[in-house]
Amino acid sequence: MNSAAEVSSPPRDAQSFRRRLIGFIAVGEVGVLAAMALLVAFFWLLEPAFLSERNIRAILNVVSFVGIIAIGQTILLVAGEFDLSVGSVAGLSAVVAGKLMTAAALPVTAAILGGIGVGALIGLLNGLIVVRLGIPAFIQTLGMLFIGQGLIQVVTGGYPVYPLPDAINDIGGTDLVFGLGWSFAFFIIAAIIADFVLRRTVLGRNMYATGGNKEVAHLVGINTNAYKIGAFITVGALSAIAGMFVMADLGSGGTSIGSGWELTVIAGVVVGGVSLFGGAGTVAGGVVGILLLKIVQSGLVVIGVNSNWQQIAVGVIMVMAVGLDIVRRRYFIAGA
Amino acid sequence: MSDITRQTLFSATAIVKNFGGVQALRGVDFDVIPGEIHALLGQNGAGKSTLVKILNGVHPAGSHTGTIQLDGQSVSFASPADARSSGVGYVPQEIEVLEQLSVAENVFAGRTGLGAGMLVYQRKLEQRAGEIFADLGIDINPRAYVASLTSAQRHLVMIARAIVMKPRVLMLDEPTASLSGTEVDALFSVLRRLKAQGVAMIYITHRLPEVLAICDRATVLRDGQVAVRIAREDFDAETFIFSMSGQRLQRLFPEHAAPVGTPTALDVRHLTVAGHSGAVHGANDISLSVAAGEIVGLAGLLGSGRSEILHGIYGRVPAEGAIRVNGQSVAVRSPADARAAGIALLTEDRKRDGLLFNLPVGANITIGNLAPLSRHGMVRGWLERSSILAAMRALNVKASSPQAAVTHLSGGNQQKLLFARVLMRAPKVLLLDEPTKGVDAATRHEIYRLVVELAEKGVALLIVASELEELIGLCDRCLVVADGRIVDEFNRGEGGEDRVLRSVTSAQAERHAMAAQASS
Repeated sequence: MNSAAEVSSPPRDAQSFRRRLIGFIAVGEVGVLAAMALLVAFFWLLEPAFLSERNIRAILNVVSFVGIIAIGQTILLVAGEFDLSVGSVAGLSAVVAGKLMTAAALPVTAAILGGIGVGALIGLLNGLIVVRLGIPAFIQTLGMLFIGQGLIQVVTGGYPVYPLPDAINDIGGTDLVFGLGWSFAFFIIAAIIADFVLRRTVLGRNMYATGGNKEVAHLVGINTNAYKIGAFITVGALSAIAGMFVMADLGSGGTSIGSGWELTVIAGVVVGGVSLFGGAGTVAGGVVGILLLKIVQSGLVVIGVNSNWQQIAVGVIMVMAVGLDIVRRRYFIAGA
Repeated sequence: MSDITRQTLFSATAIVKNFGGVQALRGVDFDVIPGEIHALLGQNGAGKSTLVKILNGVHPAGSHTGTIQLDGQSVSFASPADARSSGVGYVPQEIEVLEQLSVAENVFAGRTGLGAGMLVYQRKLEQRAGEIFADLGIDINPRAYVASLTSAQRHLVMIARAIVMKPRVLMLDEPTASLSGTEVDALFSVLRRLKAQGVAMIYITHRLPEVLAICDRATVLRDGQVAVRIAREDFDAETFIFSMSGQRLQRLFPEHAAPVGTPTALDVRHLTVAGHSGAVHGANDISLSVAAGEIVGLAGLLGSGRSEILHGIYGRVPAEGAIRVNGQSVAVRSPADARAAGIALLTEDRKRDGLLFNLPVGANITIGNLAPLSRHGMVRGWLERSSILAAMRALNVKASSPQAAVTHLSGGNQQKLLFARVLMRAPKVLLLDEPTKGVDAATRHEIYRLVVELAEKGVALLIVASELEELIGLCDRCLVVADGRIVDEFNRGEGGEDRVLRSVTSAQAERHAMAAQASS
């Protein structure tokens, strides 16, 4: 009886405001968004060209590629695993699709599906090995990172896949709105869908349960292995799509596509409040985190900071973001 | 008494310890003399582990009143390390070993330097460990990796680790809980050697045959006080049982009469569950049935296989046997199968197997129950919220809102939250593993009432609880489990705690005799 009263009675005004404020700050994305707004203002004050159309477009374009992978990585992190092979998978899928549409002379659509298939297959393999054999995701996907890089060389012989069919160059060159093309459109739509799935669906809720405590999830009847493997496949397929968009953008299947992305993606989503330990974070947060990292990198270039300092900044920001997140959790969620 | 006091090595006098408002120990005196094995007996909650934790420095000096003396000198231990360096060793019940290291490294864990600076002398460690083992008559290769040892061997490694410090007092907490009959004999011969060396030992156990076999004196605790102190010549299983189960604070249990003529809701035939790591107790050829509206208890000691029976029925661990729910045969290969068949399980360990700390109160209740609250895979927010509020109200879960974090809830509220989760699907069969563990007295009572209410609604309940008084007070029928088998069964009013203890003891004595026969 007591609880009913407590739950339904409207709290007093001052308290309610305070509680709402705390609730607002406790929402993971708010902190990152605020930090991002501050950074944008900071760079803009130092160099108004930071907010030039050209620069904004450049930032968004880069974010769309890594952002697509960040969506998958966020889902996988929520399910309690992570994938270091995303960059390799992106590169490998791109060159395989490139070879399929050139050397094998397959229709472009079939070749693209082939590329996605490669990504999904590697995701499946990662998932099966991690879940069934119990090999830690760190080891399995680090191994896959090297395997993927090796396979890129095997498939291409070390030379970029070039020239590509016109249809691919068209995909890369299309200007849908504000100079942004298909990759950005795909990124936005995929992010909205994935965010909705994690927030509002049974599938999403079960994913959080799986990442939060696998044993509990299993005991309430959730097939945790299927969820983990599914998340690995998703991240693989999304990596493949991102890799192929880069290929279309460049007009060639370069052998360095995706190289070094794995850490950028993980750093970004972690900045956005996605937990490395599973079960916490949102796609919106992860995507905003990536955006924040890219804004910092671009801003430092625009205001003329030596490029060596950019990496240092990324490192500092990531550690700070996680530190702030821990503080936030302690004071606004635990101590509210 | 006077000649014992003269040679007392280690003693505690007038120990009082409070936890919050609860008095765990109310003026306990305890002592041990060199070369003696002194049994410390009592039911769960009698105060055994609290006393040991005080003697061992886990509850540091200052957190309790009373004096502790070693060799006639007053001592105050600030930590277990402090106690250890004063010559008071402790072998905990749970096996704590470093699996990736060798036996020798485990024996010397934390002291691998051997006084020679920072370097580890592998050869020397192995040699020293070998000497200790030879001295105790333990047959384990010091170079073997602990990961390859059985749980009995690991226990011996832990004892060797305590021996390295040359303790004058050694406390052993349920050392045989995970051992088989022949392994117990091996342990006993080690203890006899220590005894001959003049080590004073405090032996905590639930197993009376072992007390009769090896102990020199016994102290029985009951409700935080010494109920009786018995010398070896007066040892008698009946005396122990009587003093352990004597009058205690009467608890009130809600009235419930066993249902008459209701159909069988849960029927289990020949359920067999392997013990963990291929070791001793699992569940062995268990057959039982629970009628709709009936409350059945599984009584037995920790490690008797009582939890394994629940886990086997729920599909948490691989099990063989046949399960029927309401007459329908069901194949339970996973918890998902069990849930689909109308079986629900409330696990014992809330923190490890119950709560999802990453999700708020509301989502913790609905997890696994979302199907009826969603359409096309999408959770219907208002429907979920209203059913959460209804569940919280029904079970009196006190939380500021469904969005509150579960860490803020008290143990009792967390437990009620988990009840809300398992009840949301209206199970036909409810398995409860220690449903009142770590909850306050008021919630305990609420849970008793809830159990009876559920039974009256026709739910079949199968309960495991360590507190026999609770189990006997609550259940219509009790099944006594020992060594993975059902050894006795009685209805409400046909027996009390003493009956359970007696059946367990005679089952253990039988096993002991069989093991002795086998090894001779």
